[in-house]
Amino acid sequence: MNILETKNLYKIYDETSVPVHAVNGIDLVIKKGEFTAIVGPSGSGKTTLLNMIGGLDKPTKGEIIVNGVKIHDLSRRKMTDFRLKNIGFVFQAYNLIPVLTARENVEFIMHLQGRSKKERDERTENLLKAVGLGDRIEARPSKLSGGQQQRVAVSRAIASKPKFVLADEPTANLDSKSTENLLDMMEKLNKEEEITFIFSTHDQRVVKKARRVITVDDGKIVSDETRKTE
Amino acid sequence: MWNNIKLAWRNLWRNKRRTLITTASIVFSVLFASFMRAVQEGSYDSMIDNMVKFYSGYLQVQDTAYWDEKTLENTIAYDSTLAGKISNMKDVRLVTPRLESFALSAYEENSKPVFVMGIDPEKEDGIIKLSEKVKKGSFISSNDKGALIAEGLSKFLKIGAGDTLVMISQGYHGVSAAGKFAVRGIFKHPNPEFNNNMVYLSLKTAQDFYSAYGRYTSEVIMVNDHYEVDHVKRAIQEILPPDKTVMTWDEMYPELLSMIEGDRAGGIIMLWILYLVIGFGIFGTVMMMVNERKREFGVINAVGMRKSRINVMLFAEIVMLGMLGAVLGLVLTAPIIGYFYANPMPMPAEMAEAMEAYGVEPYMFVSIRPMIYINQALTIFILSSVIAGIMMITVARLDMVKALRG
Ligand SMILES: Nc1ncnc2c1ncn2[C@@H]1O[C@H](COP(=O)(O)OP(=O)(O)OP(=O)(O)O)[C@@H](O)[C@H]1O
Ligand SMILES: [Mg+2]
Repeated sequence: MNILETKNLYKIYDETSVPVHAVNGIDLVIKKGEFTAIVGPSGSGKTTLLNMIGGLDKPTKGEIIVNGVKIHDLSRRKMTDFRLKNIGFVFQAYNLIPVLTARENVEFIMHLQGRSKKERDERTENLLKAVGLGDRIEARPSKLSGGQQQRVAVSRAIASKPKFVLADEPTANLDSKSTENLLDMMEKLNKEEEITFIFSTHDQRVVKKARRVITVDDGKIVSDETRKTE
Repeated sequence: MWNNIKLAWRNLWRNKRRTLITTASIVFSVLFASFMRAVQEGSYDSMIDNMVKFYSGYLQVQDTAYWDEKTLENTIAYDSTLAGKISNMKDVRLVTPRLESFALSAYEENSKPVFVMGIDPEKEDGIIKLSEKVKKGSFISSNDKGALIAEGLSKFLKIGAGDTLVMISQGYHGVSAAGKFAVRGIFKHPNPEFNNNMVYLSLKTAQDFYSAYGRYTSEVIMVNDHYEVDHVKRAIQEILPPDKTVMTWDEMYPELLSMIEGDRAGGIIMLWILYLVIGFGIFGTVMMMVNERKREFGVINAVGMRKSRINVMLFAEIVMLGMLGAVLGLVLTAPIIGYFYANPMPMPAEMAEAMEAYGVEPYMFVSIRPMIYINQALTIFILSSVIAGIMMITVARLDMVKALRG
């Protein structure tokens, strides 16, 4: 089942004298349950691509279809609501609201979705336990390590039961041990709960964990390899 | 909603010191503004109070033609039902008739034009406390044939209590008026001008002198304070016959009102400047608050919080900041104003003398009208709402993709 499809996708920044073709004709299909890395040198267009498929940014040209909905046609406000229901996000850093505890950060998104208190409480606790933060539930982000914060961010991203989770360089600010922990955890969620992850990275150790690796350069896909899972 | 408020409250304390400084500046401005306005309004109240006490009363019922042409021809006949009805109105403390005119007074070699006021001595005493101001001799009684004269006048005429004052004038319908009056007492009128030319007679004696039997120039009405004047005026207007009119102190003496209004406007402009400065302070704080959180706004918008909801949160935050200061400011103001209300501060000696010379009690009075205080809180509310509005526009225009990239 295709949960995400892009057709002939372009993003051209022409505010500058020389237009930048940040995304330059990308056709991509993502299926449910994928664990896919998008790699490429700095400036190759990874963030631009992720922002568009996440409904944060609008393409200059082309189509983005998420779960059958052409999201490039939606208004900003509808896009926001669409993201809330369908897409989870993990950013490189500063993901969490600093004045809320780990629990409240995870709950926050379910609050926006209007889920019941009972459901919120249960799910928050389960998720934070699943990412190994059962004993840090009431801690504020400033009391958590970078790796712990990213794990809370992943919990938040999947709390809303999205169709897929987008993570733009989620490990860029982490040491190798935390990086490995985070990736293991994501992999576990992917396998056990069939959560689709699409993440961009520079880090070869992260790339190794991916089952599908899409390489972009100059806004184009230059290779797309799917590895056999053991 | 509750969550928005909780979030806003916590966000407010992200930078404790900054919030405290901003709050302190608002507290100070509210305190200062409240105090200044309270003293201003208190002094106006006292000025008006003095004026109406010593002369005009809060309201007067007169013949419609009297105010423009103050002659005995434009007097009114006594109407006990009307007077009774007015006395029974809500907030009316006292109704007393007067007959006012002029005369030339003389004693031995000296003569002087004087202002003659025929009064009901007992009732009038309830307004001006005339009996307490009698320096020599005694106060006059209801049907007294004698006169009570001001101290300055007595000095000028070199007349004392027990002597006989002669007055001549023109009476009702052009009849010539002349009379001899035993001086019962000498009093000190607080107003220096009146102190030089005022003669009080009993109403009956004044009517006889002017051959204006049963007539009077006005019915003076006292209420508790000038805030009650308007509704009493309306009530009187409803029952007044067409040949009579009711005038308020500010209609009779618009100069006092315009002086007060000018002074008040000056004070309010000063407060606007104060609030403008405070406003810029809040604006600066809030702008920092928003700028350093653009990325966070980007993140929470990305995960699905609409800009409009981010703005509701931000509005709550900014208005809370303002109201925190306003409420604390009022809480601090209350005991201070309460103290000065209970114990009016005496004015410094030189000022006190000048004030006393004009018959004004030499104290710094404060007004406890709730509107003074509500207005300060309201100003802060409006100020913070406007600032919040500007910030909301900033957020509405924020390019979330750029904000995310940091
Ligand atoms: N708002 C913008 N205006 C103009 N050019 C932009 C803008 N945003 C990105 N670009 C350009 O688009 C290209 C792709 O940028 P993008 O951030 O998507 O690359 P990236 O692969 O994510 O790089 P990195 O690995 O450094 O994060 C770059 O050349 C960048 O300079
Ligand atoms: Mg990038």
